[in-house]
Amino acid sequence: MTAYLARRVLQALVVLVVVTLIVYALLTRVPGSALGAVLGPHAASGFLPRYFSWLNQVLHGNLGFSLLHNEPVSTLLAASLPRTVALTGTAVLLALIVAIPVGMLQAVNKNKLVDHVLRALTLLCYGTPSFVLGSVLILVFAVKLKWFGGEGPQAPGFVGVITDWRDLTLPVLTLALLTIALFSRYLRSSAIDSLAQDYVRTARAKGAGERRVLRRHVLRNSLLPVVTLIGLTVPQILAGAVVVESIFNFQGMGYQLWYAAENHDFPVVLGFTLVIGVGVVAGSLLADVGYALLDPRVRYAGR
Amino acid sequence: MTSSLPATGSGGVQGGRPAGAGEPLLQVTDLHTEIRRAGKLVRAVDGVSLTVGQGESLGLVGESGCGKTMTALSVLRLLPPGGVITSGRVTMAGLDLTAMAETDLERVRGGQIGMVFQDPASSLNPTMTIGDQVAEAVLLHRGNDRRAALERAVQTLRLVKMPEPERVAAQFPHHLSGGMRQRAMIAIALACEPRLLIADEPTTALDVTVQREILELIDELRHRLGMAVILVTHDLGVIAGRTDRIAVMYGGRIVETAATATVLGRPRHPYTEALMRALPELAATGSGRLASIPGLPPDLTEPAGGCRFAARCEHAREYCASRVPELDGDHPGHSYACFFPVAQAADGSAPWLNQLSTANGHPPAAAAVPQQPPVLQVQGLTKHFAVTRGALLARRVGSVSAVDDVSFEIAAGQTFGLVGESGCGKSTVARLIAGVAQPDAGSILFRGADLNQLTGRDLRGQRAGIQLMFQDAYGSLDPRMRAASILREPLLIHNSGRKRAHRRTVARLLDEVGLPPDTADRFARQLSGGQRQRLALARALILQPRLIIADEPVSALDVSVQAQILNLMRKLQRQYGLSYLFISHDLSVVRYMADVIGVMYLGKLVELGPAHEIAASPSHPYTRGLIDAIPAVLTGKDGARPAISGEPPSPTNPPSGCRFRTRCPRAEQICAEQEPPLVPAAGRTGRLTACHFPLPPVPPGGTVQVTANTE
Repeated sequence: MTAYLARRVLQALVVLVVVTLIVYALLTRVPGSALGAVLGPHAASGFLPRYFSWLNQVLHGNLGFSLLHNEPVSTLLAASLPRTVALTGTAVLLALIVAIPVGMLQAVNKNKLVDHVLRALTLLCYGTPSFVLGSVLILVFAVKLKWFGGEGPQAPGFVGVITDWRDLTLPVLTLALLTIALFSRYLRSSAIDSLAQDYVRTARAKGAGERRVLRRHVLRNSLLPVVTLIGLTVPQILAGAVVVESIFNFQGMGYQLWYAAENHDFPVVLGFTLVIGVGVVAGSLLADVGYALLDPRVRYAGR
Repeated sequence: MTSSLPATGSGGVQGGRPAGAGEPLLQVTDLHTEIRRAGKLVRAVDGVSLTVGQGESLGLVGESGCGKTMTALSVLRLLPPGGVITSGRVTMAGLDLTAMAETDLERVRGGQIGMVFQDPASSLNPTMTIGDQVAEAVLLHRGNDRRAALERAVQTLRLVKMPEPERVAAQFPHHLSGGMRQRAMIAIALACEPRLLIADEPTTALDVTVQREILELIDELRHRLGMAVILVTHDLGVIAGRTDRIAVMYGGRIVETAATATVLGRPRHPYTEALMRALPELAATGSGRLASIPGLPPDLTEPAGGCRFAARCEHAREYCASRVPELDGDHPGHSYACFFPVAQAADGSAPWLNQLSTANGHPPAAAAVPQQPPVLQVQGLTKHFAVTRGALLARRVGSVSAVDDVSFEIAAGQTFGLVGESGCGKSTVARLIAGVAQPDAGSILFRGADLNQLTGRDLRGQRAGIQLMFQDAYGSLDPRMRAASILREPLLIHNSGRKRAHRRTVARLLDEVGLPPDTADRFARQLSGGQRQRLALARALILQPRLIIADEPVSALDVSVQAQILNLMRKLQRQYGLSYLFISHDLSVVRYMADVIGVMYLGKLVELGPAHEIAASPSHPYTRGLIDAIPAVLTGKDGARPAISGEPPSPTNPPSGCRFRTRCPRAEQICAEQEPPLVPAAGRTGRLTACHFPLPPVPPGGTVQVTANTE
């Protein structure tokens, strides 16, 4: 297990170095001479020495200076990152809570009415653009029914977002509805595979009832590919957050990125891109660790 | 229907339980099971009736698709999706299992009836420990707390003779060898002491040596626990010495049933008889053709009226195709469904058996091997696979010695049989010769040219002369290519001949391997198992090779189809002067096919010599053990000598000296210290043995397991 983890961490680090190289290369190509001042001291010359000095700055938390807000990118990040984590984290959690029973239900009733109806519903949500979905939700639940707020939580920080469930519900729902179809479809097909496995028959031959077969034998083995999928959907969820945060006027990373891109605030764009890159790499790393925890074959094989 | 009979030929296996006393434990009456899949309706079980008495063992035999597994699954209503019992009854000790509510049936499954499945690798949950999986059965039926259930699980693992049961209980299935996994499966089935054990092909996925251990274990537990057993298998040898009664199935029906010795000694149904004649162990060596059953098993989506076997039966008359024969017989306790049963000799034995025993009395004609120049010479072939460990940099911590200093040659027009348990390196030898892997040392001379020295065009030219056949014919054929394209591909790769000529070549080859011309437009999935292997053979032949490497080409096939393929391979060999490197774990098949046999153990060649001589009088204890492990159909008994036990040790750290010494009954101190060289065996010509204490030659007329022995 440790060998496996060490190998995965090392691979992740290599990918991260490549990410920083790309971001830095983009940064140096950015038009506008004002940038030189933003980038910090440049005693060294040549690409690699300059890259290393920039990397040094980045590692010390200096991501540059926002042209627009007139404050360090890191300050901006510190304010928006926890809010986005709260939003997307809740959304993924909700999506899983819905997608797991939906996928299992579909697998058990493969090609029956329930399966078709659920597939149609989840695909409808998946296929609807998030700005349409968000707007419809606002119109129905905030404007007409007045059940929830039409704007995302405005209180600062992670706790501020999490505790304001009235305002949080609609943006979370918009993001979650997009991903439910993704998760449930994967779970459906992998549960169908698991259901056809010989060990499920073995469990039935032991006298296990249907619920026990599904919980103990099918679900755990079916979740394996979904765990990988969660890691791989991190970029998609973050992209969704850009749109959703703009619709709901929610000051998170997506919102800031959007605003910076519109106003040519390149240090912010690239600084945030770097952080998102780190997030994606970390996501797939966590997925691998989760996979190893769930599947003893990976845990011991060490490869 | 017959009630349980006293065993007449299996030597007091009743376990002190009066057979036939009281009502039977399990009674299946006129069972019909259908499977609806993809708009098709398969009548898998079509009116099966059988009984199993307390403590009795019944063998359910038949080829794939005959309905034996579906019958077994119907008993516990564990049918695959689309499977329905349409009529009939299954009662277990007075309880109607077919009418019972699902929740009540769950108490019977695993409680009253335990079940063991074919492939232990896939039948165990990969993400649960062995202990948890056994304990689950206990928890479901005994309602114990977890700790008590785990304790009971360890006890049960000990009962099935699992080595180190406490440690194994904490391990996952992928840590265990095939034999140990099957022991774990049996432990799950036995955890709640069921009164009936249904074992569906329990040893088909295992090596012969392990197979024997598992069968002996089931047998022993049956007597110890006084439970009844239904052994479902395609292999007559598996049930020969171990069941009280046999029911032979064909086309969803039982065609013959009686005491085991009666069915095997005096079969009356032509199908049973044909099945036995197709066994390679019964074929005379040399030019003798294996009896095969023509045609294919019936399609149960649209079963013909009348006798299902009529289309393939040599005794069939017009009458058979229109009327269904009843299952009855002229002797009490021996029922068969046939209008024209196989005639019996005056003494009651089947006439063809007598012919066989005389045929085996003489040394086969092919014994005098004509001196032919070798097509292939393998010298000192060695292959190691590195074992690496370490998180960042893979450090080499050892190596698996897959093939170690193997030398042999194959003469033109001859077959070299390579035998050994799984993991002994026989497939690696095939890969090295085929050029799929590179040897670490040694040379491979093909028609005098060293394949390792050749490059580019020369190498490709020589490679065309060596072709391959695999065990899994379906997996080796591209599912998206039609048969014609599959056959054309080698010609295109080697730019052989003109494209216009290809069509004719393809048609000619299809005809030669006995496939109808319209096969050219078919996909592999539209062919039966035997047809796929014919197609694979045609593909191997299309470049007119000198040598075909056949890696377990018939292991996945039914006995009757296996015989067809083996006959075809021999016919083509004579026709084209082909050489075969024939690899198999099944010594009786190899003995039938090969002129020369090499026996491999843990990467080493331990014995080499003419096939019939090795089979008749092995000199290496390992060869002896392999032969003894083969269950013999006719004697109904395994060899008197204890077969070699356990499984091969890890090839990562092979034992010092002789690699076989850890399992060898004759091993002494010197075996651990010195590795025996492969040298001519004392007192035998043309035989090489790597053993310090080789076995003495068997005197002529002595008993040998591989050959038929009708006494």
